[in-house]
Amino acid sequence: MKSLDLSVVVPLYNEEESVRLLHERISEALRRTDLRYEILFVDDGSRDGTLEIAAAIAEQDPRLRVVEFRANYGQTPAMAAGIDLARGTVIATMDGDLQNDPGDIPAMLREIDDDTDMVVGWRQNRQDRLLTRKVPSWIANKLIGKVTGVPIRDNGCSLKLYRASVIKRVPLYSEMHRFIPAMASITGARVKEVPVSHHARQFGASKYGLSRTWKVLLDLLSIKTIIGFAQRPLLWFGLLAMPFIVASLISLGAAIAPLFTPDGTLILPFAGTGVLYGALALFLLMGGAVGELVYATGNVDLTEYSRLSAVSRMERDDE
Amino acid sequence: MNESAAAPRYSIVIPVGRRVDDFVELVSEYVEALDSAAVDHEIVVVLDGQKKELFEALRRVAVADARLRVIELSKEFGESAALAAGFDAARGAMLLTLPAYYQVEPQEIVKMIAAPAPDDDMLIAVRWPRAGSPFDKLRRKAFHGLFKFMSSMKYRDLGCGVRLFKRAVAEEIPVYGDQHRFLPALAARRGFRVREVEVRQSPKDRFRGHYRLREYLHRFLDVLTVFFLVRFTKKPLRFFGTIGFLAAGFGAIVTAVLVVQRLFFDIALADRPALLLGTLLVVLGVQTFALGLIGELIIFTHASGMKEYTIRRVIQSERAPNA
Repeated sequence: MKSLDLSVVVPLYNEEESVRLLHERISEALRRTDLRYEILFVDDGSRDGTLEIAAAIAEQDPRLRVVEFRANYGQTPAMAAGIDLARGTVIATMDGDLQNDPGDIPAMLREIDDDTDMVVGWRQNRQDRLLTRKVPSWIANKLIGKVTGVPIRDNGCSLKLYRASVIKRVPLYSEMHRFIPAMASITGARVKEVPVSHHARQFGASKYGLSRTWKVLLDLLSIKTIIGFAQRPLLWFGLLAMPFIVASLISLGAAIAPLFTPDGTLILPFAGTGVLYGALALFLLMGGAVGELVYATGNVDLTEYSRLSAVSRMERDDE
Repeated sequence: MNESAAAPRYSIVIPVGRRVDDFVELVSEYVEALDSAAVDHEIVVVLDGQKKELFEALRRVAVADARLRVIELSKEFGESAALAAGFDAARGAMLLTLPAYYQVEPQEIVKMIAAPAPDDDMLIAVRWPRAGSPFDKLRRKAFHGLFKFMSSMKYRDLGCGVRLFKRAVAEEIPVYGDQHRFLPALAARRGFRVREVEVRQSPKDRFRGHYRLREYLHRFLDVLTVFFLVRFTKKPLRFFGTIGFLAAGFGAIVTAVLVVQRLFFDIALADRPALLLGTLLVVLGVQTFALGLIGELIIFTHASGMKEYTIRRVIQSERAPNA
């Protein structure tokens, strides 16, 4: 089996108007290069004609594979499936709504070299509403960059390219697709940003809204727990316990203080809060210990990642 | 018990637990019904726990009918475990589970077998019309209403053990504990197409005795488990985090108000019970949150072993180079 240079993975959900055009644009952009490529459309249980149209195109184009899901599982599983099946040494992912321009792919592909495992798009002059989309996304990007330590200016852009050997190792589940660069950074992958063009939505309705903010915030905390303190959960929980240890000490101090004055008595409510905060701190530390257990018995071996990145470096030196 | 070379099309799996009617008679009625429609089948009876007399009686039947196989579990593991053992032993492409007591008229299973449309992955029987006292009806309504509220999936008779499904359903959906009851819901979540079929209830379908309080509690906890499994398996923090945040947030507000009152309005802090309430809520909230984080760690460390999707097929042109 010849290996391919590039796999383009596109999750599709109810995009019947876009599919044909999308396929044309991708093919057009890649045909001009001499890349050996394949396209993977992952139909995420669409309820319109997306699958039929995609299947019809696949009959004509041997370079297109269409993956049919049994139900609607979400964007991350769709990407994960595409990435699992992809055969290219580089995998590109993009949205199926034509907001990304496949014409950017060849330029991005050139950026994947010795020092870069991952290239993410950075949408220039975004065609979205200012107040409901751009401002929240600006704040979100700042926050995500700060928390994850991977300062990307545009996490929402789904046009991204990855070295296959890296991305195939990154656990993708739930709604992780927003945080793939951050997740990949655990493996030691290095990221570069490239400006890409952005088009307004032509067909269909946007599938996102402001309501997801709370979910994203919680996800962000999960990510912080996972990547920031990978293999050191006790440290992370210890950090969380710190303010409560302080609160406990202050409370206990306030409770005991009157004892040092003549005819003073212990202030019971303060003693109560002090004990409670102390108990909470202890609970958190024990939680951290359970976290250590989880890592010890789980099947993610993070040292494997460091070995992996060392190997991929050597391979690249060989080329 | 000879193993016939060719696998039959249908495997009938009958778990036998505590509730069992005149079983040998019931099985012969099932077989009669199946044979009357010339259904190519095998029967796998799983005895949940050792049942000597029944085992002997079934052995005598099995000598005459090679299509019957009996599995005996060494101790009582529960219906889900019995079903799982039966699914492992079954060789048919279609599985049909039947109860070990009269729930539906035996002839009705022929109707079940004839019912599937090409798109259906699973058919579940609904006993209809349904006999029972007003209290029974109320209890059923309450159970299914609660289930619908929690999962937003509507089923009319999750207690009926008559279910017909493709082998893939059993292979893909692990059932443990008391989850066999919710197999249709779990299957539907996984993208299988599930449909209800109305069948006639057996006149002998009478549960003598009555449910104890513990049973009600168990059912309630089962529904909660499934609710959690279905909605938050991959994102524990979304569940625990929201609850924890609400509790801790409320507690923090209470505490803050008290502290402000103490600092600026000179209202003594120490003799106010609300202080303890605020503190307790903060403690509870943070603990809940921490549990969610531990859940996230568990999911992350096991994510590589879980597949979140099922591919029905991959479509690709026949001219494809690497097909």
